[in-house]
This record gives sequence, structure tokens and C-alpha cells, in this order.
Amino acid sequence: MAKNKFDTEDPVAPPIPKPKLRWMNRSNQWNTRVKPGKHGLRLGDLNVGIYGDVPAVWNDQTRNPRGAIPKKGVPPVGYTVRTKAELWADSAADLYEEAIQRKWAPATDVPWKSIKPLPEPLERAVCQVMTELCQYANCDIETISQWQYQMAYGYHEVKQFLATASFDGARMYEAFRKRALCNGGGLGLEGPGEVNRMILESRGGWSEAVTYLYLMRGTFTVVMLRYLEAHACNDAERAIYAASLEAKGRHMTYALEHLQYSIAHTDGRREVMQTLLFIGERVWARELKDHVLREALAIVFAGGLNHAADKGMAIFQQMMRDVMTEYCFSCDWLGVTRKAERMPSALTQYMPLAEKQSSGS
Amino acid sequence: MAEASADIFEMKLDWMSAQGEWGTHAKPGKHGLSLADIQQGSYGDIPEHSDNMSGRPRGANPRPDAYRIGGYSVRTKHEIWLDNASFLYEEALQRQWSSATDVPWDTIEPLPDDIEQAQCELCTFLTEVEFVAGDVPSRWVAKTTPDYFEPRHVLLAQVMDEARHMDVFRKRALANGGGLMSATGGTAGVVGSIDLARDFTEMSSRLHISGEGAVLTIFRMGELMAYNDAEKTMYRLCAQDEARHVAFGVMHMRYMAETAPERREEIECYFDEAERQILAGSQNPAGAQTESSESLAILLGGGLDNYDEGIKKLMAIRRRQLTEYQKRVRSAGFGERFENGRSPIKEMIAASAA
Repeated sequence: MAKNKFDTEDPVAPPIPKPKLRWMNRSNQWNTRVKPGKHGLRLGDLNVGIYGDVPAVWNDQTRNPRGAIPKKGVPPVGYTVRTKAELWADSAADLYEEAIQRKWAPATDVPWKSIKPLPEPLERAVCQVMTELCQYANCDIETISQWQYQMAYGYHEVKQFLATASFDGARMYEAFRKRALCNGGGLGLEGPGEVNRMILESRGGWSEAVTYLYLMRGTFTVVMLRYLEAHACNDAERAIYAASLEAKGRHMTYALEHLQYSIAHTDGRREVMQTLLFIGERVWARELKDHVLREALAIVFAGGLNHAADKGMAIFQQMMRDVMTEYCFSCDWLGVTRKAERMPSALTQYMPLAEKQSSGS
Repeated sequence: MAEASADIFEMKLDWMSAQGEWGTHAKPGKHGLSLADIQQGSYGDIPEHSDNMSGRPRGANPRPDAYRIGGYSVRTKHEIWLDNASFLYEEALQRQWSSATDVPWDTIEPLPDDIEQAQCELCTFLTEVEFVAGDVPSRWVAKTTPDYFEPRHVLLAQVMDEARHMDVFRKRALANGGGLMSATGGTAGVVGSIDLARDFTEMSSRLHISGEGAVLTIFRMGELMAYNDAEKTMYRLCAQDEARHVAFGVMHMRYMAETAPERREEIECYFDEAERQILAGSQNPAGAQTESSESLAILLGGGLDNYDEGIKKLMAIRRRQLTEYQKRVRSAGFGERFENGRSPIKEMIAASAA
């Protein structure tokens, strides 16, 4: 038998098996040549030709990369989130790249040595705020982590962005904990956790989780971080809040864009969201009645205990007015306008006057 | 920010006397303020069993009326712990990189068609497998009590790393006149796969030690199969991340071996399975004759015409994979299996040397 190039010349050694090469010359689209731009070669740049076709439904339950030739007969992995409307936002790829560029490490990027001893009531208040922020970050982590692996591979941009979002949660958790433990204080009393429960227990789909995690809790957290940054006791805290705000800004961008996409592409989604918000606002209002975070924030905003009950509380109220303004604005933008008469008074007391008047309250 | 009217509110301040341990002064060291630096007093006490079902940070004072919302199934320390989690997490943070800007994409030049096809097939495979290692750890994060947040944080860093790996291989496949090719299905949901593990240590043995261990050896050999600086950089950066993931598995297994000897035999069974399946099967790019091993042989040999030369190099890599696997399992405290005849690894090494 004539030897071919894949037979070994050595009569003692076992023959090198011939390659089957069934994969060669098989591609759904060849000749793809994506070039790096001034910001490098970004994930979104890859969405050319068929590689950029993001289907409305992705029924492939394997990890077949979008655009590759699937293999038949592969047992499914079991993804449950398989439609574009359930998770998509056009900005996901850009937000993913931005998150990577804005890397930070709490260990070395926070000027810890700028922290000086504070009067005990103020230190206790800062530590209480950090404790509750830690729990918020934990809720981010656990919520994203329990949904991310259920998302189909065809929407890899969103999965990848969410990988950065849960990692952001880890960094925030770490930074808040470090701040609580570095200045003679410690962690505080755990938060009431009712909103955390609502977010974590949302089972109606990722969009429902996004509604609670970002539109509701996220808006509150972003405004609170802004106020904390403005009233920080030192550069270390300012750096922590600034980095957290950058991350939360990305999360909110994804969330609002996703909810808008979801409403536009799902029959009845707007009405479902109205119901979710109606329920969620009551849970949120109950949690706001808890005095612990409110008092701790008032002390931080007043720079100490002395003026916490007047000046600090006034700033807290202003913060809540800003929260409600942003919340109502986002809801309006999404087409799920909030009407004061359908909201609990614990929230409407902070609503902008115009909003209240226009809804007849 | 405008300040509103200054009504006076009643302050209860009862929470001030209901906080966690007070008087903690963690100080930054030469590497900043690390997670290890804040293991002070009771905040550094890791419970053997966690009854924290409300998601409170470890050391915070619990509220008796807090909801039990955690639903955590991993609540025993030996199920997930490792002694160097803080170090691995901090290192992951310091070594974050960007596939958009840290890979010199402009060094890629057109390649012969067989080489480009082999590179694209390998990248298709790697894109496919990298997010196994993203999907699976993310599922376990949500199942683990935050009392063990240090290992959870390492897993979150891994999910981030894998997202980047997935994207860098997709980028390479689409950057040089090629495209994605055939998926292999190597990460299917079959018995014994990484996806289906119902126990964390079982999952870690498959994912971190055998699965990622095998891929790490390939990445470390990146110089041999790279045709430009972009590919060299890509493999080097991925290897650095992968080494942390493998270290997680080894250190966790070591902790498990030391603290839960009653689980040794069960863990030996996971290694039996790994040696039968993952190391030998289609999840290993240098495993049996698969799309990825053929493409690797073409890359290693320098083209289809030198396939047999490439196969010889691939066999050398395979021997190295198996040898490194042995070292890791020994380091984890399970080396006896290589002496008592339980493991077929020595025979596998001999076979690949023939």
C-alpha cells in the first residue's frame, strides 16, 4: 500500500492517525477582517455580516458561538432566557468594553491613608451606611449571578456585560467593607432587607429583576451615592463613591435601555411593569420607614450628630426628592408613568409638585 | 445640591448600640488595603457552618426580624473554602486586561489558508468552552452564603476573566480574513460534565483542576502555535488568568482533603471520572482526535503538510498536560492514586510518549 504523507516513516512507532479534517472549509461566513479602531478592537466591532445578526429567538441550547456552525446531536445545557426581548440592550457591547477600560482596585486605587479618625457618632454613621451598601452590592451580585447562567449564548454581549456588572458588585462590596473596618469602627446593624428580598425573589424573568434591581433600587442607590460623594469625610470615601457611581451609571444605562427594548418588543410588558411597580413601590415605602439608614445618612450629611436632626434630615429629604424626580423621569421615559394617587404616601411626599399636580393628587 | 427647610426630626439612634464589633483599625500594607488586611477580630472569624440566610455581611449585627432570603445551599466552610482566596482575588483585580487595547491586533498579517482555518477552528472551540467557566461559577456564587465571600469574590473574578477570554478568541477569529467555523459540542450537558455537577467540590474538580488545567497547559504553549504577537499576547494573558482559576481548585481541594477526610473517597471518584472523560475527551483541545486537536496539530506543525510533525508536538503537550495534572492532584493531597494503581495517568503518559 502506498504511503501517504500522514503515515510515519518509522516502522516501530505507531502510525500517526490521518486527520479527518471534517471541519475544514466550513464556515457560515469567511473572509471577515475586522480592523481595530482608535479604541482598539472592541466587542461591538465584531458585529459585521452574519456575526452581527442577533436573532429575536435563540433556541440553540448549546454553547454554539453566534455565527459558528452548530453541531447536531449535542445534548442541551438548558438555557431558560432565550429571546432577545428578555435581555437585550444595544449598548451592552459598548458598556462591556467601557467597564474593562475603567478597571479599579479598591486595595490600591483608594487613598486609604487620607482617612483620619472621626468623632464616634459620625464614624458609626459612616459604618452603618457602609454596611447597608454592602448588602445592596451583595444583592446585585446574587441577583445577576442567578440569572446570568440561564441566558442563551446567542446574546453573549449581555452575558459579558453582566460579568462586568457582578464583578463591579464584588468591588463595591469589598470597598464598602474595607472602609467600615479601617478607621476604628466596624460593621453596623444589617439592613431590613425587604427590597433585597423583592429583587432576589423576582421569578417572572430577568426583565422583572431589572425593574426592581435597577429602576427602583438602582435609582435610589445612585442618588444616595451622589449625596454621599458630596458629603464624604475624606478623599478615600470620595474615591469609593466616585468609582461606584461610574459602575452604577453603566448598570443603569443597560437597565433602562433593556426595559425600553423589552416594552417595545413584548406584548403586555408595559402593563406588567405597571403592576410590578405598583407592588414594588409599597415594599420600597415600607423599607423607607426604617429609621436606621435615614438617621445614619442624616448624620453623615450634617458632618456629625449636632445638626443631624435638622440640617442632616433636610438634606436627606432633598436626596429623596431627587430620587423620586429621577425615578418618575425614568418611568415616564419608559412609558410607565407613575401616578401619585396610586403610590404610597411615603414616596409621594417626595414627588415633585408638578408630578403630583398632573396626576391630580 | 439644594438644602431644604430645617425642620427638626426626632432621632432614635438606637442602632448605634446595636452594631457589630467596634474598634477595628485595618491598616494598608505595601500592596494597599487588601482583603487579608481586614481579617481583624471577629471579622476574620470564618464560621465552620453559616446560618446567615439574610445575606448580611459577615460580622454585621443581625436583625432578629430579617427575612431568610438567601436560599444558600453552600453553608459549610469546607465545601468552598481555600486559604488563599483573598490573595487570588486581589491578584485578579491587579491583573485586569483589555482584549480591545492590550492585544497588538495590528501585528496580525494574512496567513496561509490552512493555518488561518486552523486558528479559526481553535478559536471557535475556545469561544465555545470559555464561558462554561463563566456560566458555572456564576451559578455557585448565588448559592453560597456571603459569610464565605472571599471565595465567592474569586469566582466573580473568574466569571469576568472568562468573559474576556470568550471575547478575545472571537475577536481573533474575525480579525484576519477568516471567521468562526464548526462548534464541537464539547461542553454539552451530559452526565459527568462541568455544567451538571450538583456539588461545589465536584464542580471544582472538573472545572478548575482537570478542565482548566488542561487548557492552561495549552495556553502556556501559546508561543508554539502563535503566528504573531497578537496571538502570543492573547495566550499569555489568558494563561495568567487560567493559572489563578486552577490554583483556586487545587487550594480548595487541599483544604477539603485536610478538613473533610470523610469525603476523600468521593473526591477520588471525581478524579476517576475526570481522567476518563475530561482529560481524554472532546473538552480537551489536545485530547482525542477532534476538530480542536487537528487544528492544534496544523498550527504546531506549521501547516497541513507538516501535520505529522504537529501531532508529535501535540503529543508532547499532552504529556505535559498529564504531568501537570498529576502535580496538581498531588499538591491537592490526592497523590496516592498515582502510586496505588487507581489512576491510569501513568499509562496515558506512556501511550502519548510511544
